[in-house]
Amino acid sequence: MKNRFVFRKSILLIFLFSFSFFLFGLSISPAQEMGVPVAAPISAPQPPDPPMNVVAKDAPNDNGHAIVVKWSLSADDGKGKNNVLSYEIWRSDNPDTGFVLRGLVPAGTSQYLDRGAREKEEENYFPPHKNFYYQIKAKSDISFSESEVSAPAYAYGQWIHTGKLSILFATAVFTFFVLLFINWAKKGKKLYVRPIAGIDAVDEAIGRATEMGRPILYILGLGSAGELGTIASLTILNRVAKKTAEYQTPLLVPVSDPVVLTVAQEAVKAGYYEAGRPDTYKEDSVWYITSMQFAYVSAVNGLMLREKTATNIYMGVFYAESLLLAETGNVAGSIQISGTDQVAQIPFFVAATDYTLIGEELYAASAYLGKEPLLLGAIKAQDWGKILIMISLIIGAIAASFHLDFIVNLFRIKL
Amino acid sequence: MSGDIIGIWIGAILTLGIFSFLYKDNPFYKFSEALFVGISAGYWFVVTFWQYFVPKFWDNLSLSFHELVANGRIDYHWIYLVGGFFGVLMLLRLVPKIGWLSRWSLAFIVGTTAGLQFTRYLESNGIRQVVGTIKPLVVGGNLGTSIGNIIIVVGTFTGLIYFFFSKEHKGAFGGAARVGVWFLMINFGAMFGYTVMSRMSLLIGRMDYLFSDWLKLIK
Amino acid sequence: MRWQIPLLIVLIGGVFMAVQYFVPLEFSERIYEYCVDWVIIVGVFAMGLGLWSLFRVSVGKIQTKAQGWGYNFITLGGLFGMILLGLFSGIEEGKQFMNLFWYIYTPIQSSMFALLAFYVASAAYRAFRARTLVSTILLLTAVVIMLRLIPLGPVSGLNQTVASWILTVPNMAAKRAIAMGIGLGGIATALKVVLGIERSYMGKE
Repeated sequence: MKNRFVFRKSILLIFLFSFSFFLFGLSISPAQEMGVPVAAPISAPQPPDPPMNVVAKDAPNDNGHAIVVKWSLSADDGKGKNNVLSYEIWRSDNPDTGFVLRGLVPAGTSQYLDRGAREKEEENYFPPHKNFYYQIKAKSDISFSESEVSAPAYAYGQWIHTGKLSILFATAVFTFFVLLFINWAKKGKKLYVRPIAGIDAVDEAIGRATEMGRPILYILGLGSAGELGTIASLTILNRVAKKTAEYQTPLLVPVSDPVVLTVAQEAVKAGYYEAGRPDTYKEDSVWYITSMQFAYVSAVNGLMLREKTATNIYMGVFYAESLLLAETGNVAGSIQISGTDQVAQIPFFVAATDYTLIGEELYAASAYLGKEPLLLGAIKAQDWGKILIMISLIIGAIAASFHLDFIVNLFRIKL
Repeated sequence: MSGDIIGIWIGAILTLGIFSFLYKDNPFYKFSEALFVGISAGYWFVVTFWQYFVPKFWDNLSLSFHELVANGRIDYHWIYLVGGFFGVLMLLRLVPKIGWLSRWSLAFIVGTTAGLQFTRYLESNGIRQVVGTIKPLVVGGNLGTSIGNIIIVVGTFTGLIYFFFSKEHKGAFGGAARVGVWFLMINFGAMFGYTVMSRMSLLIGRMDYLFSDWLKLIK
Repeated sequence: MRWQIPLLIVLIGGVFMAVQYFVPLEFSERIYEYCVDWVIIVGVFAMGLGLWSLFRVSVGKIQTKAQGWGYNFITLGGLFGMILLGLFSGIEEGKQFMNLFWYIYTPIQSSMFALLAFYVASAAYRAFRARTLVSTILLLTAVVIMLRLIPLGPVSGLNQTVASWILTVPNMAAKRAIAMGIGLGGIATALKVVLGIERSYMGKE
């Protein structure tokens, strides 16, 4: 039943994906550029040579409020006594009159991005789908010359960012792997997962706390509820709550975010349900302290010493407080297990706690402890992601050694 | 001026209260901690109220309300009611019978954030890292850079092998994973060493506050 | 109703947010901005739940005269003092609200942060005592990097060269591997959330 539900959702996901693209696609219209020749401008005494070939075009990969103007440099740019010092970019919706200064660039520059505001109320509003003409003035210290007026161009939004195609491709490949292996797992294929030291330690530590009759402290970090590290941690919390409910060991979960408070309460409550002990769940075992980093830490540190927690588990998104927490727990003599996806904090957890789930291990632990085949399927997909990365690295490095940069260019993101 | 002096005295006493925790938990620390928690939670609530709730919710809705009353026009700012709707559902947790409706709000927050992070992770942790790691293994005439590049590729490669979960770390594969661990340890050590100095400077800042702002022993 | 609708919200919200990343159109930009604002607004409403939780737990401790219950008066006093001052007399500089922030909040925060100096030292000491190969690698690297800013006489130059090589070569390699792993784990998690496979945050019934 559930499997079929997941499958249907995958279909719906793909459908939604393509439908959104279709919708976005409807609102664009083809590019339009028409040539309108214009009379030469009035010249000033001893002006520099004018810039030539002014071309205006819609700026690519944007929301439709910008035009790119390009020109050929004045022949006097960078030499002679009529040396060009700067170029001014002028714009009008009429090729003959009403030009307004839009920007200024130093000599040697032959391109300008004329970007305006999106909101109609704003002064610098740049209307999309409206023809504009551009003219470039080359300025020397005493004089200036004007280019011919460009052909009209209008700004419009793009329905797909071509600089992000490599990410789109990676999205498709990875989504395919995840769906494939989840499907495998659903069919009952056994998926091996290597032992991860920190995971086995979780069960041991709960047992130890039970023997000592002291509480377990679970810290979800400072991440918001939607952050992926926090979500991975919630699955682990759910599993820990189930065990503590079975053993009737007190569980303390102070949190630092009100939304995390609600999701953590749900995860813990679910754990108690799964253990068949919903009656023993206490809502105040998960409580909010404050959202301010160090105030939260000061309270948790005090809690560790006062409640004499047997086991402290830190899983999720952590910042500078990682070491403050872990060292205090050390002083208190608690068994400590940590895991974070914050690269900068891993070293402190490694140094100060007994077991650390390093980066991706946090996510793997979450899937492993969840024990559901659907969750485990994703681990296999992650490994295939790694294989693809490793193949790309090797081929890319060898190609780059022979000055063939096309592989790395395939991946490059152009924002 | 005298307000300032009182402020510095309070700050200094609270600073000592926090530092006393290094010796052991004590009433002085407990007092500082309780005050810190209360003040910070209140501060956070008030700041989010004025900086987010009022401009994003209240101001937008009163704008559209005004537009409706004055010109009989329904303008687009009413769209902020969606946020309010999910917000109210969230508060329904306090009513046990219909508390399950708060799941809609959780679903909205978690779903949108997950979707957002999906592409963000793919870009910053995936593609950009791959692009950064693809380096020529042989750089003509520069042995140092060649060796460096080879080590980067080998380090990244073996590091990734360590993170393999669906294959046992045995034999050559296990050996490569072990090399990966060495690289990881170098990274951890480097980050550790890198941070020590900045942490020391924080302490020096606090000492400066105590000895020069408060006790005026250092000018 | 209880499950289908939230799962549908997750699916639509998640897919939209992923798709809009590839679509620079103004339309997608605007919906994205609304979504972000709505999330913020829900967060502010949720603050009510947070404060209610803090209040309940504090009052509960006072009622049951739990160990150290008296300190909860201080917490509640600070909490309501700040809320009343902030809501009714303003939060501009010079107001009581900001004075409390500068004279009480800031020094405690800086002191908590400064405690890290001691903790870094004690953690390093412990790592030093664990004599395994990996902890030795960690410690040696830490020492080399730490000393790069300190004048060491004749070996200063050598140390700096080694430190900068460590930072830019093996350190960078490991950092990339860790980042890629986190990236893969993260996107798999995001995908599981959007597909409704990962739903521990919603609880069970």
